[in-house]
Amino acid sequence: MLKQKTLEQTKAAARRNKGGRSAAFYNNPEIRALGYQLLLVLGLGYFFYSVISNVLANMEATGIKTGFGFLTASAGYDVLMSLIPFEATDTYGRIFIVGFLNTILVSVIGIFFATVLGFIFGVAHFSHNWLIRKVAVLYVEIFRNIPLLLQVFFWYFAVLATLPSARQSLSLGEAIFLNVRGLYVPKMVGSDLFWVAEVALAVAIAGIFVLRRWAKRRQALTGQIFPVFYTSIAMVIGLPVAALLLTGLPFTVEYPELRGFNYFGGITIIPELMALAIALSVYTGSFIAEAVRAGVQSIPQGQTEAARSLGLSEKRIMSLIIVPQAMRVIVPLLNSEYQSLVKNSTLAAAIGYPDLFNVFVGTALNQTGQAIETIFMTIVVYFIVNMVISFLMNRLNNAVALVSR
Amino acid sequence: MREFQPVPARPAPVKTVGPVAWARANLFSSIPNSMMTLFVMALFVYFIPPIVDWAFLSANWTGTTEDACVRDGACWVFVKAWSYQFFYGTYPEEEVWRINLMLGLLVLVIAASFTLPKHIRLKASVAAWLLLPLVGIAVLDGRLLGLNQVTTDLWGGFTLNVFMAAASIIVAFPFSFLWALGRRSEMPFIRSVSIIFIEFFRGVPVLSLFFMGSVMLPLFFAEGTNVDKLIRVWIVLIFFMSGYMAEVFRGGFQAVPSGQYEAADSIGLSYWQKILLIILPQVIKVSMPNILATFVMLFKNTTFLLIIGIPEVVQTLQTALSNSYWLGGHALEGYLFVFLVFWSSCFSMSLLARRIERQMNTDKRG
Amino acid sequence: MSAVKSSSGAEDIIVIENLNKWYGNFHVLRDINLRVKKGERIVICGPSGSGKSTTIRCINRLEEFQEGSLVVDGVEMINDVKNIETIRKDVGMVFQHFNLFPHLTILENLTLGPIWVQKKPKAEAEATAMQYLERVKIPDQADKYPGQLSGGQQQRVAIARSLCMNPNIMLFDEPTSALDPEMIKEVLDVMVELAQEGMTMLCVTHEMGFAKKVADRVIFMDAGQIVEENEPNEFFNNPQNERTKLFLSQILNH
Repeated sequence: MLKQKTLEQTKAAARRNKGGRSAAFYNNPEIRALGYQLLLVLGLGYFFYSVISNVLANMEATGIKTGFGFLTASAGYDVLMSLIPFEATDTYGRIFIVGFLNTILVSVIGIFFATVLGFIFGVAHFSHNWLIRKVAVLYVEIFRNIPLLLQVFFWYFAVLATLPSARQSLSLGEAIFLNVRGLYVPKMVGSDLFWVAEVALAVAIAGIFVLRRWAKRRQALTGQIFPVFYTSIAMVIGLPVAALLLTGLPFTVEYPELRGFNYFGGITIIPELMALAIALSVYTGSFIAEAVRAGVQSIPQGQTEAARSLGLSEKRIMSLIIVPQAMRVIVPLLNSEYQSLVKNSTLAAAIGYPDLFNVFVGTALNQTGQAIETIFMTIVVYFIVNMVISFLMNRLNNAVALVSR
Repeated sequence: MREFQPVPARPAPVKTVGPVAWARANLFSSIPNSMMTLFVMALFVYFIPPIVDWAFLSANWTGTTEDACVRDGACWVFVKAWSYQFFYGTYPEEEVWRINLMLGLLVLVIAASFTLPKHIRLKASVAAWLLLPLVGIAVLDGRLLGLNQVTTDLWGGFTLNVFMAAASIIVAFPFSFLWALGRRSEMPFIRSVSIIFIEFFRGVPVLSLFFMGSVMLPLFFAEGTNVDKLIRVWIVLIFFMSGYMAEVFRGGFQAVPSGQYEAADSIGLSYWQKILLIILPQVIKVSMPNILATFVMLFKNTTFLLIIGIPEVVQTLQTALSNSYWLGGHALEGYLFVFLVFWSSCFSMSLLARRIERQMNTDKRG
Repeated sequence: MSAVKSSSGAEDIIVIENLNKWYGNFHVLRDINLRVKKGERIVICGPSGSGKSTTIRCINRLEEFQEGSLVVDGVEMINDVKNIETIRKDVGMVFQHFNLFPHLTILENLTLGPIWVQKKPKAEAEATAMQYLERVKIPDQADKYPGQLSGGQQQRVAIARSLCMNPNIMLFDEPTSALDPEMIKEVLDVMVELAQEGMTMLCVTHEMGFAKKVADRVIFMDAGQIVEENEPNEFFNNPQNERTKLFLSQILNH
């Protein structure tokens, strides 16, 4: 009879073959994982401990104050441009807000024009016209491959700084003036009944949403298609103009006037803002153009062919098939481009546009010496702004990416 | 049974091929198209001749001082006179061979990583790359090799941009790889630390990082330690770069099929063997176009160093423009020259990235 | 070249005369002549690169041609946007790779044309769409997205999408080439049913069983021209041309 090993015997043999050792505890993957993480905790802990104690010791040695008390102290310096009233005696806290608003201003202008440029040149890449296609390629390849700082300097020092002086200003219809000190445009100053036009504009914008819903319902019921786009444009322009005419043009136009060595009145756009906004728009626009190109190129040729074979017009193919699908590729890319634009707007420091970074990390840090507080506050703002952009773009993304697959 | 006799191919009708048909189809296919063509052509005709005239025909090419610029066109003499500073900053002229040597070494290492025999290529080129920054510091500084010391405040110009970018990406490479691994890790603490690190360095404006490097970092070191400004900036660039590169690598890790991990596990490789021998080479290969794109971004961003007063090429140009012997307004010439230098380097790198990408796509199909 | 079979021009729904097409200097279609009667089912076969797909893509102007004339359902094809849209409304097309719109549900895929081209009320368009989905036997998939369906189901949706436009002519461009074998049948069944209802059909396909079963005529193309056309029985059993015989032996013997 064959000698049959029992299960117990086999196990015992296996234990003997391993040399009688039980598995070493340090070979257990879970314990290893715990160990690695513990090491990291200790390492980071030591790092932060030494950094913080060094910082405290250093600050004591140099006599730098700590805390946010400086925010209520008078700053004692003026800024080049402010969207809210500001005087040199105002506080660092107020300067923070001034800088923040200036950052938002240049970012919004930059994002708007970068998007316009990006979409124009991105779509131009698919033009039937060879020359237009080449111009689009040229734009993207030139501006994307030159450092942004150089472009800012180029516009500021090589273009805007060579404009004529105030007395020889370039002018457009004696209303808009451009000289080395900036761009001067007329301002509309409303009188008593001006609010009617403002209300009309608000009504027009609200009306677009109502119109869209009405048009959609009517199409669903009767099949008739209503030209929503053109009607909306007509409403937004037409209603306020009609309101202005009916109330007897209740506004005056304040034109810039040459007094002494410069223009006064109207709206002044300083060259620092112009140079930064132009450079940011052109630079980011070239990246957005690439994103748009990638988005449109991601749609297979078959989609257009299928839509054509259904008899859809080229306009409808664009709005119903191409754009919704391309946007799903474009929107996430736009998100990161917008965020880099906001971060890149800190280059204001190079030409002296008073954005948040310049007035706070630049000047305030210099005057107070409180590096950690000022840099921390500034960084937090950029984080928050970028989170807001991210949130909005994700909302947009959800709207265009309806498909759950 | 009949034999099939193909109708001989005829040439296409003249109206559909040839330059006239091409122009009709590509430039004048419709009325709006023709108008755009004419508009663009008009722009060219209006702008190009004066530009050519300014830049070439009536430009000033010879001479050494501003007085030599007597003609209406561009004063290229300005660029010529300052070209040494644009490239080498204020590095002493008799020591400039060291910079050229390092540039040569850089090119050599790049070439070696593509051309060495396959069996030693990976090891040799990784070693060469990692040694390169150390050799660079030793040669450029000089003290270690018994040469005259050239202090870092004399380093500058376009070569400084190149060296800062190269030295940062080389050191950032292994770090970013670790961060990417950390972000993929199943250990919660390691993962969170990696995510915070990566998102911090990606989310913060690079300028504020430079300010941290120049203003905050000295506070971090023990009292009395004096770390060179360039080294502090280098550290900042490494962190900045590793944040971005970690995300590039994460994409690369995702592109490696899970079968590769399983195959490596099944032949009994340890974790680090699996990662270093099997996964990393594939990750680097698929990430190459994005690595190059990130490098181009870093390279362009080295110009931001000007803000904290490091004499890289744009700073050198600004200095030259405000030099009292050259106040004739040569901004345009100067910027165009630096444009051209940066553009040609960045554009050739993006071309290379695109070629690698195309190559990879065809490999996949084949 | 064999004579054009059709005798009375009145009932010809498609008339192609001396069609020539070049890609650059490459002569892809050479002197194509073809008349299709209303209700006729035609199968076009031939080696790859023979111009068979290009021919049927000319019929709804997905491809332009340089010489010759083409009349579809009484409308002559000229280079005019409105004219092209008129023809496309009348001609349905099914593609090798389905080309469903991935961002729209199955139902939205089907109603897109009726709503935006035929300007039908939504409810009516959806009712029609559901009818056709039932005919292709997948009414339960109406609210899913194309990516959630199998290849065979997607192709049946594509057929239903074309039918929703109520076309007089259906073009099929290798409708089963991208499908797994077990899905080919479900698509062919739908096509056979459609044929039996009297739809005018032009199919580019290598499914010879389908050709034998429903085709009125089989056309063999090579090198951009029609080599031979005949009724299926004659075509398969008694090919008149050496080239046809070689091709048939290649595709039937495996």
